[in-house]
Amino acid sequence: MSSLGGAQNIVSLKNVDQSFVVGEETIDVLHDINFELQANTFNIIYGPSGSGKSTLLNILSGLQHPTKGTVVFGGSKLYELSPNDLAAFRANQIGIVYQQNYWVKSLTALENVSLPMYFLGYSKSSAAKIAQNALEQVGMGSYGKKEPGMLSGGEQQRIAMARAIVNNPLFIIADEPTGSLDSKNGDMIMNLLQECQTVLKRTIILVTHNMEYLPLADKLLHIQDGHVTEQQDESINKTATELLDQMKERIDRLSKAKVHGVQKNAKKLVQ
Amino acid sequence: MQKNLSNNSTPPQPQAPPKMKATSLGNDSNTRKRFRAIQLKIVFYMALKNITSKKLRSFLTVFGVVIGIGSIFFLLSFGIGIQELVTKQVIGDKSLKALEVSSPNSRILQLNDQVINKIRRYPNVDKVGLQYSFPGSIAINGGEVDAVVYGINQDFQSTTSFTLKKGRLLKKEDTRAVVVNLSTLKSIGIKTADKAINKQVKLTIPLNKVQSNKSEISDNFTIVGVIESGAGSEVFTTDSLFTSAGVLNYQQVKVIAKDTKNISTIRKQIESNGFQTTSLVDTLDEINKIFKFFNVILVSFGSVGMIVAVLGMFNTLTISLLERTKEIGLMMALGGRRSDMRKLFIFEALLLSFLGSIIGIAFAIAGGTAVNIFLNSGARGRGVTSNFTVFAYPAWAIFGMLGFTLIVGLLVVYFPARRAETINPIDALRRE
Repeated sequence: MSSLGGAQNIVSLKNVDQSFVVGEETIDVLHDINFELQANTFNIIYGPSGSGKSTLLNILSGLQHPTKGTVVFGGSKLYELSPNDLAAFRANQIGIVYQQNYWVKSLTALENVSLPMYFLGYSKSSAAKIAQNALEQVGMGSYGKKEPGMLSGGEQQRIAMARAIVNNPLFIIADEPTGSLDSKNGDMIMNLLQECQTVLKRTIILVTHNMEYLPLADKLLHIQDGHVTEQQDESINKTATELLDQMKERIDRLSKAKVHGVQKNAKKLVQ
Repeated sequence: MQKNLSNNSTPPQPQAPPKMKATSLGNDSNTRKRFRAIQLKIVFYMALKNITSKKLRSFLTVFGVVIGIGSIFFLLSFGIGIQELVTKQVIGDKSLKALEVSSPNSRILQLNDQVINKIRRYPNVDKVGLQYSFPGSIAINGGEVDAVVYGINQDFQSTTSFTLKKGRLLKKEDTRAVVVNLSTLKSIGIKTADKAINKQVKLTIPLNKVQSNKSEISDNFTIVGVIESGAGSEVFTTDSLFTSAGVLNYQQVKVIAKDTKNISTIRKQIESNGFQTTSLVDTLDEINKIFKFFNVILVSFGSVGMIVAVLGMFNTLTISLLERTKEIGLMMALGGRRSDMRKLFIFEALLLSFLGSIIGIAFAIAGGTAVNIFLNSGARGRGVTSNFTVFAYPAWAIFGMLGFTLIVGLLVVYFPARRAETINPIDALRRE
């Protein structure tokens, strides 16, 4: 399933550090991150909460200027671009799906999907045509006139997927897109993401802390305490198995604590 | 783990989306570099949608602007209307191009033909009206009354507004013709203007106090016209009567400039010869000075409402900004430029203020027109025949008001728009 052999690198991070100054304290979030992503691959950034996943994603999507290091995209250094060119990069090359759904509430679903096209200078009617096509790709063709905020979580997330593919981006960045969904709707979104890779030939960057999705990855970026380890193929499955083992241990540990009356809570956690 | 490949032939579930097709959507690789700024039409549309999505709030904000602009414009149109009314009363149909020349001391400084010819040669002098005036008497059928006798040339007649009741005005070739006013007729016992035409009258004008060939003009004249002017008896005849009697000095000279803007230059030239000049422009300047002050007072009363309206607008835009922090962050993450966010707020503010000012001006005009109609119908009841307006709305005032709202709108939106463009999309989207 890997398509890595000889594929071209479309993005590479070199010695990227990220720290934030909060008051007088400096918090280091990412240390010396180095990796490359190839075109038309499915990449997963996996890690516990607070590990720096979202920060890494913001750096990749051109929103967060790293403290140190370079992000090279298509041969040019991303953070040496002017603010307007960076905006152009986002409008042109990136599609984003968030865990939460964000909408411009006064606009319809179709107009919300059209937003990236608007920012690319398309007219309202030509943007609408492309956006309708994108809605149909995710099976939401009849939802264009609806207010997106009024729809169910799964429907909203599919419209968000349409918005992420409308500009035909190179990257689709998905930040825990299934986090607020039940497993059925979650799987549907994962299907759509996979199809974006296999059919539309896009590069997917998925951030998740759901280990069950790990085997989908061509490349796994396992992030822990601000350090990233790259894994591919067999070792991804190995990591998945290890994580599963860790979970089993946790269940065992919690069930042994039955006498303290915490078993019920533990089961809930697993469910 | 399931992985639906594109060649999977299972029909889609009702809930499931259809298989994606490998079509290119927004921009293919050829046009990937394409990037223009967002179309202003779309910014306008988005601003309009946001305003209409919050109907009550937008209505109240616009209503505030309506009251503010409406009250300013109502008071301003009152000021302008009164000013126009007063100006019309004072100026009437007299020309603003006219300059009246007189001598401060007619014995030393004489308004004779030599001076007149000099004045005629000044640039931009169009006409020079000449007038003699002497006390005299007019007699008919044995009755005799005192009257002021004017000898005027054609330029003087054509630049003075005479209201002709009957007959005609003077012609250049007239020698023994007079035009009299209604009060002269009344004093000499002719009841109607009809009966006066072609009547013979005897004029007696003593000339012993001025330089002349004769000591008195005393002759018969024919009444050719009757005019409505003045309360005292006035008799008009041609200037040739006095010229031929050898009278050298004119009592009044009226200089007509080609344009109002030439008046001040011509005036300086004449005054440098020692003559005095008066012009309606002086009066008009005085009127304008007073009304400038009056209008400032009126507008500052109206501005109280406008200040409240501006605060309301500022409040609405600030709340709109706070509410939409996330939306702005989202739009930036989707490729919106900072300047696009600024534009969005500017359009919104301009929409609110323009809508408010157009409705406000419309209300003010409706209110002013209603008062005009009411006052006129009241005046007609009391026998006033001519229409008058107390409220006036010249185009410059309407466009000036719209321009004023434009500036106010831009000032009000300055801070919200600046805050909108400095929003950090990461923070905005993280915030709960």
